[in-house]
Amino acid sequence: MTPSDARLPILAGVAVIAGLAAALLAPPDQVQGELVRLMYVHVPAAWLAYLSFAITLGASITWLWLRSPGADRVAAASAELGVFFTGLAITLGSIWGKPTWGVWWTWDPRLVTTALMFFVYLGYLALRRAIVDPVARARRCAVFGVVAFVQVPVVHMSVLWWRTLHQPPTILQPGDPTIDHAMLAALLTNLVAFTLVFAVLLRVRVRLAAAEDALEAAVDSRGRELAGDAVSAPKLAGSGV
Amino acid sequence: MTTLAGASTPLRQCLELAGKDLRAEARAGEALLVTVPFGAVGLLLVPLAVGTDTPLLREIGPGLYWVVVLLFGVLVTLRASTVDGPAQLDLLRLCGVGPGTRLAGRALASTVLLLGVQALLGPVAVVLYDPDLSGWPWLAPAVLLVAAGLGVLGALADTLAQGLAGRTTLGPLLVAPLAVPLLLGATQMLTAAHYHRPAWPWLALMLTADLLTVLAAALCAAHLEEAR
Repeated sequence: MTPSDARLPILAGVAVIAGLAAALLAPPDQVQGELVRLMYVHVPAAWLAYLSFAITLGASITWLWLRSPGADRVAAASAELGVFFTGLAITLGSIWGKPTWGVWWTWDPRLVTTALMFFVYLGYLALRRAIVDPVARARRCAVFGVVAFVQVPVVHMSVLWWRTLHQPPTILQPGDPTIDHAMLAALLTNLVAFTLVFAVLLRVRVRLAAAEDALEAAVDSRGRELAGDAVSAPKLAGSGV
Repeated sequence: MTTLAGASTPLRQCLELAGKDLRAEARAGEALLVTVPFGAVGLLLVPLAVGTDTPLLREIGPGLYWVVVLLFGVLVTLRASTVDGPAQLDLLRLCGVGPGTRLAGRALASTVLLLGVQALLGPVAVVLYDPDLSGWPWLAPAVLLVAAGLGVLGALADTLAQGLAGRTTLGPLLVAPLAVPLLLGATQMLTAAHYHRPAWPWLALMLTADLLTVLAAALCAAHLEEAR
């Protein structure tokens, strides 16, 4: 690991400590009290789900354009992280929903579309696992990575398109954000911290995938018989050789 | 295949391919003689699970019908009787049939079969659930758009899962979550018509979903061509 390689995890670690401190020091909500602190993980997890799937889209388009194995690794790694962060956002939302809405799950458009997005990308990962040939896998998954992204704007816009229990966008809206500025600062700190953690995880996963590919290639080449290996020298009758 | 080689335009090739798929289905009967009865069994089983209360079934019947159409329709689009083997694909390539045309042909055949599936399951749902059929003229565009959208999505998933061991389980996982706008549109359009609310926004939703699916399939088809 080079010094520049170590810089990102250190930066991410510092940001996580800052984010944790900001989340604990931020004022409680007037209505929800201490429960609001779930927001400092729930919102970054949802943001990283969007970011991951956007990276998968970009890497899929890059693969279709350049046929670069690196782009396929980035698409796969990002989709895996996206599924993880989508699951985390749904789980935390459910934990948050029980005391505020009175139920673990409600048929709210934001919840339903997020769950659908989760299953769409689980399908993406299942497709990856089903195909053995690396080029066919990259090609088919790149196509599905492009098609699947249609779900992401639907999830984001669902709170505006339909009547919903879930609150509308707080930060990504025109004008001054409708949130206390101390809370906003804590939220933004955590968004940065989670994004840096995501960058570290993505880099590690991509490198792991590259190492797996290299290992697979090495095993393939070692196990393959050399041309002419099965041919033995002809024996001459009576030569005693 | 001679007809295909002679079919000069992609449209004619697409129609020939769809005809070929439909003839194969007519011989195998996989969609209409196996999947449709299975769907009817599904419609029959649901009331046994949720309760055989007639007013309740009248209320939820249309929704159950569309859920069954969606889930069993995916099976129709992934039917095994029309899987193209490597030799068939090579022959189609040699005949100059492009990947987009092949996908369109498969989608067209699936759309026709899905129309048949809906037509056969519809009376079953009416008999079993006795739903309120006010606003029924809206059924015509709903049936057409569900068949077209599901046909194209199924053809795309079929191409993505081609040759894979888990094709018939993977395909539905790829299609079902993406087909939700069709399910929502079809159910809500009839509900809106029933309560004298405007149903056209749901029609617009289904139309948009169909157009996006066709666009995605058209853009991606060429990239799915695999050299062997």
